[in-house]
Amino acid sequence: MAHRLHINLSVFALLCAGASVASAQDIALAAKTESPAAAPLPRTPDGHPDLQGYWTNTTVTPLERPKDLGTKAFFTPEEAAAYEKKKLADNGPTGPGTYADVHYNMAQFGLEKSQSKVAANIRTSLITDPPDGRIPPMTPEARERNAARIAKNKGHEFDSAENRSLGERCILWPNEGPPMMPVGYNSNLQIVQGEGYVAVLQEMIHDARVIPTDGRPHVASNIREWMGDSTGHWEGDTLVVDTTNFRPETAFHGASENLHVVERFRRVDADTILYSFTVDDPHTWTRPWSAEIPMTKIKGPIFEYACHEGNYGMANNLSGARAEEKKEAEKKAQELKQQEAK
Amino acid sequence: MMKLFGACLVLAAAAAIPSWAHHSFAAEFDVTKPVKLEGTVTKMEWINPHAWIHIDVKNADGTVTSWMIEGGSPNALLRRGFTKYSLQPGTKIVVEGYQAKDGAYRANGRDLTFADGKKLFIGTDASEGGAVPKPTEK
Repeated sequence: MAHRLHINLSVFALLCAGASVASAQDIALAAKTESPAAAPLPRTPDGHPDLQGYWTNTTVTPLERPKDLGTKAFFTPEEAAAYEKKKLADNGPTGPGTYADVHYNMAQFGLEKSQSKVAANIRTSLITDPPDGRIPPMTPEARERNAARIAKNKGHEFDSAENRSLGERCILWPNEGPPMMPVGYNSNLQIVQGEGYVAVLQEMIHDARVIPTDGRPHVASNIREWMGDSTGHWEGDTLVVDTTNFRPETAFHGASENLHVVERFRRVDADTILYSFTVDDPHTWTRPWSAEIPMTKIKGPIFEYACHEGNYGMANNLSGARAEEKKEAEKKAQELKQQEAK
Repeated sequence: MMKLFGACLVLAAAAAIPSWAHHSFAAEFDVTKPVKLEGTVTKMEWINPHAWIHIDVKNADGTVTSWMIEGGSPNALLRRGFTKYSLQPGTKIVVEGYQAKDGAYRANGRDLTFADGKKLFIGTDASEGGAVPKPTEK
């Protein structure tokens, strides 16, 4: 099996042995102090840590911790084995003639995570705060807002291209963020630094984030962007990126346009950037929440993903819906005819 | 240490069974119309978000129907050493999948094999984010 776990072995031992107590900081520290490969971190000419290169945030760790794990942030090896067994039982092969079977064979097309490099992580969830590893409850306002949005589209999901998701429309994919979430495949990115800027190019589905680090303020509040307005600064060796000014349609996990994202990029060793974020939106959640996602180095390059170039799926989805509607209308007409004949 | 490593490896492999595409396959293809097509490749559309393989299928009455077969992302195939030139026109392949809901001659390429039964696209694992293959352009 081509599954590749790339992590310094001393870090790995710490991860596995002291799993339930080791914090990310401990792990990072171990990587720096115990590894014979721990060389001084590379830096750019302006003295900041060099984050440049190709990275993947592909992960098998769920965003939210399974409820039965409570506040247990890390697995022990035994628990990991049991968890794996359970997950495998949940995800057996699809049966012929089932909706799940109407798909392509992921392994055949090189799209299974087992075929990618995956950053090792024995956290039980990507979410690190709240302590239960789960997204905090939504406020009544947010529940109402999201219910209204769903109700408005109900029965109209395939009316036109504009009723489809931002991803299907090639506008925004969850990895683009911010925050930059791992996705099922091609979860790759490139970071480039220049004086006063850091740029993040995402493979899926095409966007580059150009983040100024020159201390400028956010753009005026009437300017709203799909990916928000990001400004960066360095806190010691950590790149901190602050993002506001979202459009309401972006709706990260049901958030409003008031979403505030703070991301942190910290290069902890030659192969790893520890990426973490905190999201806050009093119009959506009862409290802020945070997550941590290790990004591991890949060879690159990343390839262009001109999503709309061949987005036949959009037209095909809509024509499929028209065919279904026609079939339904014919069926109803037939039933009516039969009733009248009686 | 190796035992621990093994345990952690198992964990990492646990959730690696994703099943989703760029758009809804269930909305595009009809679960009640399974197809098995034996055809000859006429064209490879090497485009994102999905590659499309065009094949000519000979029907029982001798006529020929051109089908379009939807596959995965070319980016991932590139990382495994495949290019748009890897599947040449004239190659005989077998496709198993489901036909489009609108009745067009389109199907999802759920399982693709060569005429001898070997699976398509199972080749060198050049993962780790991209060993760029050398295209064998014709």
